[in-house]
Amino acid sequence: MEEWRENAYNCFSSGHKFCREPCPVTQVTRNENHTPTAFHTNVVAMDKGLLSLKDVADDYVHCTQCGACELRCPNTLFVGDFYRARTETVKVVRAMRALMVDEGLDREGWKLWNRLTNELKNEPVLGVENGQPNGQEHVRDWAEGLDLPIGGETVMFVDCEAAFYRTSIPRATAQILQKAGVQFGLMNEQWCCGGPAAEMGYVEQSRRFAEHNLADWRASGTKRIIAIEPHDYVHFTEDYPAYFGDEFEIEVVQIVELVAELIREGRLKLEKPINRTVTYHDPCRLNKRKGIYEAPREILRAIPGLTFKDVDHVTQWSYCSGGGGGLPVEKPEITAEISRRRLARAQDLEVDMLVSACVWSERPLATAGRDAGIEVRDIIELVAESAGIEVGGDLGASAEVPEETG
Amino acid sequence: MSAVTTIDAPVVDELEAIMGGEEGAVLTNVSSRVNRTRVPAPFPVHRWAEFLPAAVVMPRTAEQVSEILKLANRHRIPVVPRAGGTGLADGAVPLRGGIVLDVKLMNQIKEVDLVDRTVTVGPGINMLKLNEELRPHGVFFPDAPASYPCSLVGGRIACSGMSLLNARYGHTRDLVVSMQLVLPTGEIIEVGEGGGRKLRKSSTGYNLKQLFMGHQGTLGIVTEATLELAPRAEAEFAAFFAFDDYMKAHATVGNIARSGLGTIAGVVLFDEHKIAYLRRDDEAFIPMPPWVVSVVAVALYGAKVEVQAASRRIMELGRSEGGRYTGDEMADGDWASRHDRYANPLHGRLPDGKVAPMSWHCEDAAINFSALPKVREEWHELVASYRERYGIFDDWGMYAYTTGAYKPWGDLLTEIDVGIWEQELDDENWAGWVSLKHEIAKVSLKHGGSITSCHGATRAGDAELVAQEMGSGWDAMKKIKRTFDPNNVMNPGKLMLDEAYADENGGGPR
Repeated sequence: MEEWRENAYNCFSSGHKFCREPCPVTQVTRNENHTPTAFHTNVVAMDKGLLSLKDVADDYVHCTQCGACELRCPNTLFVGDFYRARTETVKVVRAMRALMVDEGLDREGWKLWNRLTNELKNEPVLGVENGQPNGQEHVRDWAEGLDLPIGGETVMFVDCEAAFYRTSIPRATAQILQKAGVQFGLMNEQWCCGGPAAEMGYVEQSRRFAEHNLADWRASGTKRIIAIEPHDYVHFTEDYPAYFGDEFEIEVVQIVELVAELIREGRLKLEKPINRTVTYHDPCRLNKRKGIYEAPREILRAIPGLTFKDVDHVTQWSYCSGGGGGLPVEKPEITAEISRRRLARAQDLEVDMLVSACVWSERPLATAGRDAGIEVRDIIELVAESAGIEVGGDLGASAEVPEETG
Repeated sequence: MSAVTTIDAPVVDELEAIMGGEEGAVLTNVSSRVNRTRVPAPFPVHRWAEFLPAAVVMPRTAEQVSEILKLANRHRIPVVPRAGGTGLADGAVPLRGGIVLDVKLMNQIKEVDLVDRTVTVGPGINMLKLNEELRPHGVFFPDAPASYPCSLVGGRIACSGMSLLNARYGHTRDLVVSMQLVLPTGEIIEVGEGGGRKLRKSSTGYNLKQLFMGHQGTLGIVTEATLELAPRAEAEFAAFFAFDDYMKAHATVGNIARSGLGTIAGVVLFDEHKIAYLRRDDEAFIPMPPWVVSVVAVALYGAKVEVQAASRRIMELGRSEGGRYTGDEMADGDWASRHDRYANPLHGRLPDGKVAPMSWHCEDAAINFSALPKVREEWHELVASYRERYGIFDDWGMYAYTTGAYKPWGDLLTEIDVGIWEQELDDENWAGWVSLKHEIAKVSLKHGGSITSCHGATRAGDAELVAQEMGSGWDAMKKIKRTFDPNNVMNPGKLMLDEAYADENGGGPR
């Protein structure tokens, strides 16, 4: 708490609230307690003895950790660097959730999700009830028939949603890399990256998973990780270095930047036209958290036949799928509404496909897309298709193609 | 201060029933109440608990608002409307507990009429968001305060806000064609110029619309507004001129304001203290030579054919008293970022120069052009003396904005920005702050000004002067309040309006 006091006062003193309207959760609930400013006001009020952690625990559930608020903070925009006081809001949410775990105030849904993750060593993405059809013995099932080696200098890290639910994405990725001549392997024993646990406040578990994965990489001489998913990328580039300090020697590559480079250098040829009208959904963790928005646009413009109706990445600071930060586990109805609104934006553009680059966004977006009559696909799946690859695997919620586009 | 009204369980049940049992529509948990006590203006954090409402309600329809107000009358419960909660005069701060009626869920766009040029919205919508939706139609709602990215239409009406583009497009009061509102006793009424919802001018009956502009939640709650649609400006032009003398800059503002150029959207005058404040971060503010002590900014909006021609005249007028054009980089960058840099807590400085995060108080007044230089002198002297005495205040300088809608001459929204180290507030420092505000307001009145141009006079320090400023009109204002709100349920304690009920209960507030 003490650590975040000054940061909270900087927001409290400003009170401009420019962060609110871009916040995807605020847009839906319109509840001041679910705003970035409330996350700081609560800290001040706790400091003054008006509120306890128990009083505010539910407030901090209402965040996807997309980072829009931080981008729109006038303190940060104008003088944050000068005073070394950029407003940290995502970290505050995570810290408060960690305190909730410490004091036994964590939410039931998150508790169950993380307990099962701890048991399975990967997230229970196929359901939290009954027996688990996923788990470590199935973690590489998606790769069946692809003949991928284990270990090596470069390892492709496949996050849980992709490994067990939307297996078309890792299959597409692996085959693209094979076709472009990129040498890579899979982990010997891949656990969840630990990122979701960190987002929900389970810091010890997150760190334990990170330690396991790092040890696995080191044991197989890995120097470079290809993160095929934006949440993993944030976790590997922010949390892992925070856990391990200077000793963390692994280079982390984001798949869209790598694929854009392969196309640019002519190592990957996209020749099969995809005759669809699409728009692109900027995944929050790429666009808002890591500033990666050019590479996916470069990729889409390289796919023959595609009509690409772009919405600039700054406008998309206000967009989200609602799929991040554990929100769908605790507040699935808010996630669904955020996705419904995102699809309505796509409808305005009269496209028949919404392309994302984040597997966690694609389940809620595709679910909303079925009602909106818009197919939701992953950018890497499209690249594979255009490269003439028969991908295989499971398309998850996108498997059921909306009638209008079918 | 009179007692804070709490609410017992049966009343909460009634509220729940009005809201149809919708989850989250009636909030009584302490965090919901704590987060709806303050606005961005300096707040007595050491007395936070005194301002907590008893419950928060988030209605979706005018009928629900009506039922809530009827309930409030039955039980004599204060109701404080809250839109964005971004006001700078505490209009949305509950002084006596009761119900905060939060309109943020009433944020729908109900109709865009491109033929008769109106857009009809709920009071919970933000202007930036509204304009994002209007952009494809080539029109916009030109109400552009400094809080453009965060304030909501309902609050703009309740405060009778100021738009930076007023000289071209008018203020909020000029941009609301008509509105639906719920009176304090629960009747739902439509007020406009006259009959139809989309008429700009009529002579039938009283002009009730303006009565409900700037009432600060004391006369009812707006539930729908029909707003003006202006064509999106084909061309925007901004220019900044630097001066070595404030009076030359002041004269230049007058020259521009009286020029008769119809495309002028606004003229802004920065004084020496404001320049010094912005220079505290020389990485963010575009550097200017040390001789610069004042800046005049001008913005033109309109069709290309008129803006291009007018811009040439502006370049002459800007230099007419020795001003120097500061360059295109500042013209483009600073005008575009005007909403973001208007005050920053991190620039706070204690008298010894130490950095401290300070809350921003923007003391706004309406001042005639001729009186501005004298008011400026007296205000800075006041802030300097309080700064020395209390050690928690800081002078962030002054802006003056042309403020006559469609006629930028004559008077200016004049603001002095005062930083306050809120963390250090105690009873003594708070009393010092209120006293400073009071003295600043008295200077405005002394020079024939108004204690507020756009924020409202609802804060301690200002509020005690409302009767004095209203003068011979004060009795009429009290009669109106008592007629519309016989039980004083709407935002009680604000604007000295408890006086309206003095005959009934021996002079004390209800």
